Amino acid sequence: MKKKIGSALVVGAGISGIRSGLDLAEQGYQVTLIDKSPNLGGVLMQLDYQFPTDHCGMCRMLPLVERDASSQFCLRKGLFHENINIMFSTELVGLEGEPGKFQVTLRQRASMVDPTRCIGCGECSRVCPVDVPDEFNAGLTNRKAIYLPIPHNIPNTYVVDTASCTLCGECEKVCPTGAIDFGKDARGRFRILVVDDELVVRDSLKEWLEDEGFRVDMAESGEEALKRVASEDYNLMLLDIKMPGMDGVEVLKRSKDIRPEMPVVMMTAYATVETAVEAMKIGALDYLMKPFDPDTLVPLIVQLYQDIERAGEHQMEVGSVILAAGFDSYDPANGKNTYGYGTLPNVVTSVEFERILSGSGLFRGKLTRPSDGKEVKKIAWFQCVGSRDQQADADFCSSACCMFAIKEALLAKEKTNGQVDTTIFYMDMRTFGKDFQRYRDRAEKDHGVRFLRNRVHSVELAGEGGELKVVYADTQGERHEDVFDLVVLAAGQRPPSTTGALADTTGIELNQWGFCQTDPFLRSRSSREGIYVSGSFSGLRDISESVIQANSASLEASRLIHSKGGGLSEESVSETTFRDVSRETPEILVAICACGEALPSAADLDLLREGIQRQGSVKSVQVIDRICTQEGWNELEQMVKEHEVNRVLIASCMPYVYGPKLKDLGQAVGLHPRLMDVVDIRTRIFPGHNGDKKEVARDMGAVIAMGLGRLRGMDPMPVPQIRVIQKALVVGGGIAGMTAALAIADHGFEVSLVEKSEHLGGNLRKLHRTIEGVSPQELLEETIARVEKHPKIQVFKKARVIHSQGRVGRFLTTIEKEDGGSEILRHGVSVLATGAREAKAQSYEYGKSEAIVTQHELEQKMADGAVDPKNLRAVAMIQCVGSREEPRNYCSRVCCATSLKNALYFKEQNPALEVYIYYRDMMTYGFLESYYTQARKAGVIFIQYDSDRKPAVAVDDGKPKISAMDPILGRELTLEADLLVLATGMEPAENNELAELFGIEINQDGFFQEAEYKWRPVDSIKEGVFLAGIAHSPRSVAESIAMGHAAAQRSLRILSSEYIAAGQIVAEVRHSICSLCEKCVSACPYGARMLDEEEGKIIVDELMCQGCGSCAAVCPNSASVLRGYRDQQVFEVIDAALEVML
Amino acid sequence: MEVAQSGEPQTESLAAEIQENIQACMQCGTCSGSCANSFAMDLTPRQVWRLVQLGEMDEIFKSKTFYLCSACYYCTLRCPRGLPLTEMMSALKRLAAARGIQRYKQSSNFYRTFMDTVKRYGRVREMEFINRYFLSMKNPFFPLGFMSVGMKLMKKGKIPLEVPKFFGEGRFDRLFAKVAELEAEQ
Repeated sequence: MKKKIGSALVVGAGISGIRSGLDLAEQGYQVTLIDKSPNLGGVLMQLDYQFPTDHCGMCRMLPLVERDASSQFCLRKGLFHENINIMFSTELVGLEGEPGKFQVTLRQRASMVDPTRCIGCGECSRVCPVDVPDEFNAGLTNRKAIYLPIPHNIPNTYVVDTASCTLCGECEKVCPTGAIDFGKDARGRFRILVVDDELVVRDSLKEWLEDEGFRVDMAESGEEALKRVASEDYNLMLLDIKMPGMDGVEVLKRSKDIRPEMPVVMMTAYATVETAVEAMKIGALDYLMKPFDPDTLVPLIVQLYQDIERAGEHQMEVGSVILAAGFDSYDPANGKNTYGYGTLPNVVTSVEFERILSGSGLFRGKLTRPSDGKEVKKIAWFQCVGSRDQQADADFCSSACCMFAIKEALLAKEKTNGQVDTTIFYMDMRTFGKDFQRYRDRAEKDHGVRFLRNRVHSVELAGEGGELKVVYADTQGERHEDVFDLVVLAAGQRPPSTTGALADTTGIELNQWGFCQTDPFLRSRSSREGIYVSGSFSGLRDISESVIQANSASLEASRLIHSKGGGLSEESVSETTFRDVSRETPEILVAICACGEALPSAADLDLLREGIQRQGSVKSVQVIDRICTQEGWNELEQMVKEHEVNRVLIASCMPYVYGPKLKDLGQAVGLHPRLMDVVDIRTRIFPGHNGDKKEVARDMGAVIAMGLGRLRGMDPMPVPQIRVIQKALVVGGGIAGMTAALAIADHGFEVSLVEKSEHLGGNLRKLHRTIEGVSPQELLEETIARVEKHPKIQVFKKARVIHSQGRVGRFLTTIEKEDGGSEILRHGVSVLATGAREAKAQSYEYGKSEAIVTQHELEQKMADGAVDPKNLRAVAMIQCVGSREEPRNYCSRVCCATSLKNALYFKEQNPALEVYIYYRDMMTYGFLESYYTQARKAGVIFIQYDSDRKPAVAVDDGKPKISAMDPILGRELTLEADLLVLATGMEPAENNELAELFGIEINQDGFFQEAEYKWRPVDSIKEGVFLAGIAHSPRSVAESIAMGHAAAQRSLRILSSEYIAAGQIVAEVRHSICSLCEKCVSACPYGARMLDEEEGKIIVDELMCQGCGSCAAVCPNSASVLRGYRDQQVFEVIDAALEVML
Repeated sequence: MEVAQSGEPQTESLAAEIQENIQACMQCGTCSGSCANSFAMDLTPRQVWRLVQLGEMDEIFKSKTFYLCSACYYCTLRCPRGLPLTEMMSALKRLAAARGIQRYKQSSNFYRTFMDTVKRYGRVREMEFINRYFLSMKNPFFPLGFMSVGMKLMKKGKIPLEVPKFFGEGRFDRLFAKVAELEAEQ
C-alpha cells in the first residue's frame, strides 16, 4: 500500500467523514477519524434502506483499487483501513498552528471497557440494573448502561454510558475476560479534600465518598484548607463558598497560586449560584448545588473523577482538518408545534419509522403500531416538520426529507404487499435530484401513494387503540377529517449540538442557522484556511451530495497538504519480499488460543488437539494462552519460525480484527498474509452455551477443519500489479472540467484538457450573477487564467476525442486537434465533463413574440441592456417548460433559483414591477428556501399549476397574455406581460458518442450514468473514467465545482502511486474449458470482463475485478474461478463442516 | 378573472399594509385547516390571503369570512411563515369599516355605537346602546330579529333602564379626546 507524507484529521465518522477519510487514506495520507459517539456511520447506522435502490449499498464506498488495504465487508459493521486510525467517543478540543501544520488536541471519553479484551458475550448487559432509551432504535426501545451501540458492529464491543451508569460494579464482577475496569483500586489513590464549615456536610461527604473508594480529608475553614493544600497533594478539592472567615472564592484564588493544576469544584446553595459561576471564570472546574443527596451527588463526583483521571487527551500534528460533523434531527417535542410527538405513541419521526421497519429494529421488520402492537393499515407523512417553518427558526429546506418520505411510503407498501394506505402531506414535493421525479411518479401512479398538497397542523387522539385524527383543508378549501394508525413526521435537519464548541475551537464562522459558513462557490471551504467542511455540516444535503461534498473536502485538504510539502511525515513502509512457497506442499501450524482458563474449562483440549493433528497438512498444533496479548503474539511468531511452516491457522475470537496483525506477522516471518487465516472458536463457549466438553471440542474441531480446508488450497502466487501512467485526460473545458484539471495538476500530475469550442468556460460564460448576488465572471476569469498558465496543464481547444482504449491506469486516447491533425494521449484516468445546454423551448408560443424568451436569453438581454427592469410593467415566468414530464422527466434543479434571482433583481430595480411565477413545485432546496421567502415578501405572485393543467399563452399585439387556473381560488387568472420567461431547463450535449468511446453508459435522458447514485456518484461503471458537472445531471455552479473536485479526488487515488495492485481474491478463467458463452461478461457488476475477439478468450481485468464471484456462479463449465474460493477449496470446507471429525 | 394589475386598492395605505404583511404567504393551508370558524365561512382563510396577494379587496369584502374571525389566534400561532394573520383579519375589518362596506355595516355600527356609549359613560349603558345601534342600521325591521334574545335579557334584568349615578356623562369624552390627540401627534 502506498504511504504518503502528511496526515489529516476528519471530525465526524458519518457517511461524509468516512468518505473523506477513505479518500485521503487511499491517496496514502495517514488519517485520524474521530466521532463523538461510540460508533461509526452516523445516522446511516439506523437506516437500512436508501433511495433509489431501496437497499443499503454503503459498502460500495470501500476502496476498489488496492482494496486489500481495507476491510472488505459490510461498512455498516465496521471499517478497518491501514491508513485510518479511528477513535470513538472523541472530540476535538484544541487546534493551534497554521494550515499545513495544525496541532490538534483530541479528548477521548473513558470507556471503562477494554476493547481489545471484550469479546461481546453480553454477560455484563444481563446484570446491569439500568434501563434507558436506546438511541439506536431512536428511543423506541430501552437499553442498559453497558450496551452495544450498534447491534451488528464488528468487533462488537460493549461500551459504558457513563451518564446513566450507577457504577454498581455488577458487570465488572461477571466479565469473563476482565475487560471492564471501573478503577476502584485507582480510586484509593485519588485524594479529595472536602472544605466546609458545617460538620454534617463534611461528615456525610466523607462517608459517601469513602464508600466509593476515594481517600477523603476534611478542612473546616479556608485557612485550614490552604494549609493542607500546601502540604499535601490532592487530586480534587470540594469547596464551600459561604464560610465564616475566608470565603470559598478567596480560597480558590489562593489555592490556584499554590497548586494551579488541582481541580476545584465549588459547593453552593441556590442563593450563591451566581458566585459559583463567577468562581468558574477564575478557574473552578464546576459547581455542585446543595442540599446534597447521595444518589445524585456520588455519581456526579464519580463522573468528575472519570473526567479528570481517565479522559485521555491526545495531541497530534496534522496538515489539515476536515469537519464532517453532520446534523442533528429536529426534535418536534421541543418545537412550538409538537404534533403530539412525545405524548401520542403513534406519532413518530421518520428515523423512528425507519427503526419500526428495520429487521434489527424493535418490531423485527414488521409494520406495527407502537401503541398496541397492532398491524398498521393507514399511514400519514407530514413534510416540513422543523423545516420551511419560521416559527421553528427554519427558513430553509432540509433537502432530503421529500425523498425520504417517498421511500418510506414505498417500503411500507412493499412490506405489506401494497395493503397499507399511504398519504404524504406536503407543500412542494422537492424531487430535484437525478431520477427523483420518476421515482415519485412511480410511487404515485404504480404504487398508489397519495400525495396531498396541504400542510397539516395538529394531530388528535381518535380512538382507544391510539388512532390519530388529522384535520386538513384541501386546496379548494374543503375541510376533511381523516384517521390514521401512524403519523410520521419528516423531522428536518439542524446543526449538530457540538457546533458551537467546534466553531470556538477551530475559529470557523457559522451561518445564521448555525451550519458552517462556506464560500459561495467553494462549498468545502470554511472561513479558515486549512479547515474544510464535508457533508451536511456545510449545508443541508442528501447522501449523494454529501458524498460528492466529502470528496471535494478531501481534495482541498490533500491539495493544501501537498502545497505545504507534506506537513508531518509518517514513516513510509518498505516493501517486504515474501518467501516463495509455490513449490512447497502445504504445511500448516494451528495455533489455538486458550483464552485464560476459558477454553480448557469448557472443551476437551486433548481431544481437540488430537483430532486436528490427524487432519491433512497439519504440521503442528499449539495451544497458546491469550494470543491477543503481546506475549501470546510473540509466542506465536516464535512458533511459526521454529516449525518452518508455510501456512498458519489461528483459532481464537473476532477474526476481523486480525487483518493488520497478520500483515505484521507476515512481515516478521516472511510469509504472505494470504497464507494465514483466523477462525472463531470463542463464540461456541459464550456464557449460556455451555455443554458437554467433548461435544464442544467436536464443534470447535469442525470450525478449525473448515479453516484448514480453505487454507490448504490457498494459491500462493503473488498478486498482479500494473504500472500506472500518472497523467490525466479531462474532456470538457467548462467550470467542472477546469476545476478537475486544476485539482489534479496542483498535485503535480500532467493533465490534458480537451475542449471542443474555441473558449474555455462553457455555460458559465453566459451567467452574470448568481442568486447570492455574486458575479461568477471573476471566478471564471481567474480559473481560465490559472488553467492556461498552469505548467502541468496542456489545453487543446477546438479539439475532440475520436478514439479511446485501455483501462484504469493505462488509457490511450486519440484526439483530433484544431489543425485537423491528431494526437495520441497516454493517461491513467479520464474525467468527462462535457456539460449540457439549455433545452430549446417548443411550447407557450415561443418564437411568436420577442417578448417570450428563455432564461439564458433573458440573462443575455439583461447583460446587453436590451431588457431594463425600469421600463417593464409586468413580467411572467413559467417553470418546468418541457421538463418534469416525459420525455424529459427530470428536474433541472437550477431554474427555480434562476427565476427567483431574476424576480428579486427586477423587484429591486423597480419595486412597482409586477412579477408572476407559474410553478409546479418550487425546488428551492437547502438554504435557497430563504430566497423563495424573500421573493414572496417582495411581492412576487406565485401561481401553482399541475402538468395536466398548464398555463395557456396567447400572443396579442406582440404581448403575451397568460391565463392559468389558480388552484386556491379555483378560477382562471388572466394577465398580460411585457416579458414572458420560459424556464426550459437543461438537456445533455451529445454524450452518446463519448460514452461509447470510453465504454460507459448513459441514462435514458442522455446524461452519463454513474456507477451508483448514492455511494459512487462520480464514478462511471468503468473504473478510471469519472464524471463531473452537468454532463452527469443538472446542478448549480457550486455543485458542479464540487463535482469537479470529486472527480479529481477519485482520479488522484489512482494517479498517486506508480503501481496499483489488484486484490488477493480475483477471478480468473480456465481457457481450456471456457466455451465463450459470455454469460460471465454480462454477470460482472464491475465491467471487469470482456471477450478478446482476436485471441478468442475471455479476459479478466484484475484491477477492476472485486472478487464478488458472480462470474464463477454463472459459469456453466466451472471455467470461471475465484482465487481463494476454488471449487476444491469450497468442497473441502463443506466436507469439513459436515464431517464428524473427532 | 382578470388579475387586477396595478389596481386602485394598493394606493390606500391600510390595504397596502395588509398586502405587505401577507405577501410571504405560500398558501400551505395551515390556517384553513386550523380555523375554528371555517365551517361558517364562504371563503377559507387561505383563499382570503390569496385574494389579498392578488389585490382583490372587493372580492374579500363581498364575503363574510373576515368578520367571522373570532380572533382565537390559532392561525397566527400555527402559520409556518410566522405571519400576523389574526391582526390582518382585524385590519380587514378596519378597512371594511373605513370604506363603509355595506355587508360589514352591521358589525361596524355595532362597534361604533358600543364605543360611543363607552365614551360617554365609561361603561355600556345597554338600553341606550341598543337603541342607538338599531337607529344606526336605518332599517325598521332590523330590531325584530333581536326580539327573542332581547326579551330573555330583559327578563333577567340584563338591560337596566337606569345607570348608576357615579358615572358622569362627558367625563370620558375628554380621556378619549386626549388619546386621539396623542395619537395624532405621533
